[in-house]
Amino acid sequence: MTADLDASTLRIYWLLLAVPLVLLAVFYLYPLSRVLWLSVTVPTPGFENFEKLYSSAAIQRIIWTTVRICVLTTMIALLLGYVVAYAAVHVRSLHGEMMLFLVLLSFWLSVLIRAFAWLTLLQRNGLINDWLMSWGLIDSPLTLVRNEFGVALGMVHYMVPYAALPIYANLKGIDPRLVPAARGLGATALQAFVKVYLPMSLPGLISASVLTFIFSLGFYITPALLGGGKTVMIAEYIAVQINETLNWGVATMLATTLLLAIFAILAAMSFFVDLRKMFGVK
Amino acid sequence: METGTSNGFRITLFGAWLAILFLTLPLVVVFPISFTPHRYLSLPDGAWSLRHYATLIDDPSWRNSIRDSLITGVASTVIAVVLGTMTAIGCWRLSSRLSETVRILMLTPMIVPSIVHALGFYQVWVQFNLIDTYTGLIIAHAMKSTPYVVISVSAALANVDLKLEQAARSLGAKVVQALWMVIIPAARPGILAGAVFAFALSWDELVVNLFITSRNVYTLPRKIWDGIQDNIDPAVASVAAVLIVLTVVAMLARFAVARRQRHTPLST
Amino acid sequence: MPVSLRLEAVSKRYSDQLAVDDVSLEIGAGRFVTLLGPSGSGKTTILMVIAGFARPTSGRIFAGSQDITDHPPERREFGMVFQGYALFPNMTVAENLAFPLKLRKMPRATIEREVERMLDTVRLVGLAQRYPRELSGGQQQRVALARALIFNPQVLLLDESLSALDKKLRAGLQEELRDLHTRLGTTFVFVTHDQDEALSMSDEVVIVNHGRIIQRGAPKALYDRPQSHFVADFLGRANFFDAVVAAASARELTYRIAGCAFRHALHAGDAAAPAGEPILIGLRPEKIALTRQEPAEGTNKLAAEITSVTYEGPNQHIRVTTPIGAMQVVAASSQLEIEAARGARAWLSWRPDASVVLHDDR
Repeated sequence: MTADLDASTLRIYWLLLAVPLVLLAVFYLYPLSRVLWLSVTVPTPGFENFEKLYSSAAIQRIIWTTVRICVLTTMIALLLGYVVAYAAVHVRSLHGEMMLFLVLLSFWLSVLIRAFAWLTLLQRNGLINDWLMSWGLIDSPLTLVRNEFGVALGMVHYMVPYAALPIYANLKGIDPRLVPAARGLGATALQAFVKVYLPMSLPGLISASVLTFIFSLGFYITPALLGGGKTVMIAEYIAVQINETLNWGVATMLATTLLLAIFAILAAMSFFVDLRKMFGVK
Repeated sequence: METGTSNGFRITLFGAWLAILFLTLPLVVVFPISFTPHRYLSLPDGAWSLRHYATLIDDPSWRNSIRDSLITGVASTVIAVVLGTMTAIGCWRLSSRLSETVRILMLTPMIVPSIVHALGFYQVWVQFNLIDTYTGLIIAHAMKSTPYVVISVSAALANVDLKLEQAARSLGAKVVQALWMVIIPAARPGILAGAVFAFALSWDELVVNLFITSRNVYTLPRKIWDGIQDNIDPAVASVAAVLIVLTVVAMLARFAVARRQRHTPLST
Repeated sequence: MPVSLRLEAVSKRYSDQLAVDDVSLEIGAGRFVTLLGPSGSGKTTILMVIAGFARPTSGRIFAGSQDITDHPPERREFGMVFQGYALFPNMTVAENLAFPLKLRKMPRATIEREVERMLDTVRLVGLAQRYPRELSGGQQQRVALARALIFNPQVLLLDESLSALDKKLRAGLQEELRDLHTRLGTTFVFVTHDQDEALSMSDEVVIVNHGRIIQRGAPKALYDRPQSHFVADFLGRANFFDAVVAAASARELTYRIAGCAFRHALHAGDAAAPAGEPILIGLRPEKIALTRQEPAEGTNKLAAEITSVTYEGPNQHIRVTTPIGAMQVVAASSQLEIEAARGARAWLSWRPDASVVLHDDR
């Protein structure tokens, strides 16, 4: 196709690409490279920052907490997202549209607003504790926030639409005659689902899980608000290193590690999934 | 398409609605709190008050933060739309392995966690003297939003016949004229969708703002964040309520437009 | 004013293949010329080179006396109708038609008048405010034509534009195109793979294969006097004989195949083939007569047994076996004097001037 174009036309189209690319290089890729650069040059050149990944118990705890919460969050969000998407695909169109509308609504609402709403509900003097106590169900307030429970809850709440929407798009593309065909051949509803439908939805499920997981790794706002300084995930820890201890070396090292981990996961996935389809480019 | 009303499906549907309620109901809590007469987060026990809504209008720091968010949002959206559309069009026409690589590069900001590029922006913005400036914030937001515009416009362009550009040129249009008069209008839905996404992204952005702005540029999310950190100001609930209502209205409007478009007889 | 087109030794190479191979072509001003060939023959590439969308790797292109090789498409003032029509989906029919005129900065009143005139010419009056997606295939085709002609181009290029239409619609549009050409006198260059289309519409047909021009000429000349096996086989049906020349004179030669001898009257341009040389003979099925009685001496004749009959409405397509191999005959149903049935015996006969000597390019 490109060979069709004469030189001056080619120039115009490459210019269209070049301008954004140059701006991206200067104002985005260069900043990213600075982060990588700092991780191996501050405070002294070398990999000593990265050695802390092995030597610092605090850092290991943070990483473990992050991975633990993200895995949990992803699994729950996927389950809920799949259930919602499945239901939305299989009901009458108006019903399905309503479900989709509400999921989209949740998707578009500000992450801050959502975290704030959860905070007001889950606090020691928050609404849930107030109600539970006024109904006499508990004597003292439950600790629903400033711990992993609160963080996971907030993150799941944020992630369900991120899981549900791509799964929905994927499920919509499954031929609706397949399951009835399986039933007609003698399968029970459960068998038809497990042996026919689920495998067909697997690619979408895998894409959604990878997307959800890698987005949740870098989360800052929700865990910071709901973790209350007690449950700290990696993004917040990085911010603390910068703002409070001015430890740019550790901060950039962790940021680099996070970035490399995400790229590694994506690279591994690229063998199984078309990455472009996953991000909606194709 | 219905799978019939088997028990398994009924349970699934019930579970789905539970999940949806989980998604939407917590936000409802914001509304009663916003009407509390007290100066701390509480439910209005008896007396309802609009004082916290009034704060949004009377208090200059709230007004200014809304203004700052609007300025950054509009400006960064314009830039993101221009850059994203240029990228999408170039990739659409060139369709080579090299241009595909460029497209993937342009998507990097989507994959990188906010905290990571916030650090980067901080370092480089100090170098470029852009800290705590509108320009600096606008550029950072534009970089973050561009990938979404690229995706949105690329999707719209996938349905645009490549021959349209040739047809326009055969009729006497120069390449730029063909793009401006034919191709871009054909991709308009994608451009608009991308613009909405870009604006929403900028409007909600907090992490980057925390790092590269301080007093001079003070956007709404930062004001909310600060409002939550210390004693939570119920005005935050009012802002939250307003934002929720705005989002619902915007989505309903879009929904209605999409429905009307679908029901107008257009095809042969 | 229509203009002539000339390609001089044009080649177009894509990274791994030569799509157009040293093509020199002259298209007279005001002529309706069709580039005909199978898929991948290079005919569309030639059109794209003429249009300016493909730059020739070597060679030059002239419009009239002007060298347009380096002119971008928008400077060439050629109208083009694309496969799929490429109508601008966001514009109404009227806006589509007005587009080239707006580019040429014509005043609004003139534009409106020209759009009206053009809609009338292609018989689409009343559809001005419709959008392309609201039109049928045939209507879209006419809008595309109108848009390409509205600025009075010197040349109209058409790229397989009828291929998406059903048979009847195609036939109708072919007539309209022919009619338009007669009325407007513009030079038409038409690309198609459909030989019936090419033969019925064109002043001249250029047969293209493997990026080269195989043969060109008026439809009748090409059909009656193909010069190579490819052309004979591509344009309609043909019987082919791999024979050996038995005797040759100035006006006639005799060829033998499987023990039978036949006469072929030499035409101007037939290559002289000496005795003993292999020769490829082509014979159109409709030029063979099928009779019950053995024909008189003096004409080529052959005994045959019918193996199948295919009813084609006005014609019958009859396959036979003969001592020299399988052959096909096409006879008008109304003139067939024998009962054409499987197993029936009959005689084939044809005149010496019915056959052609073909260049063997298999």
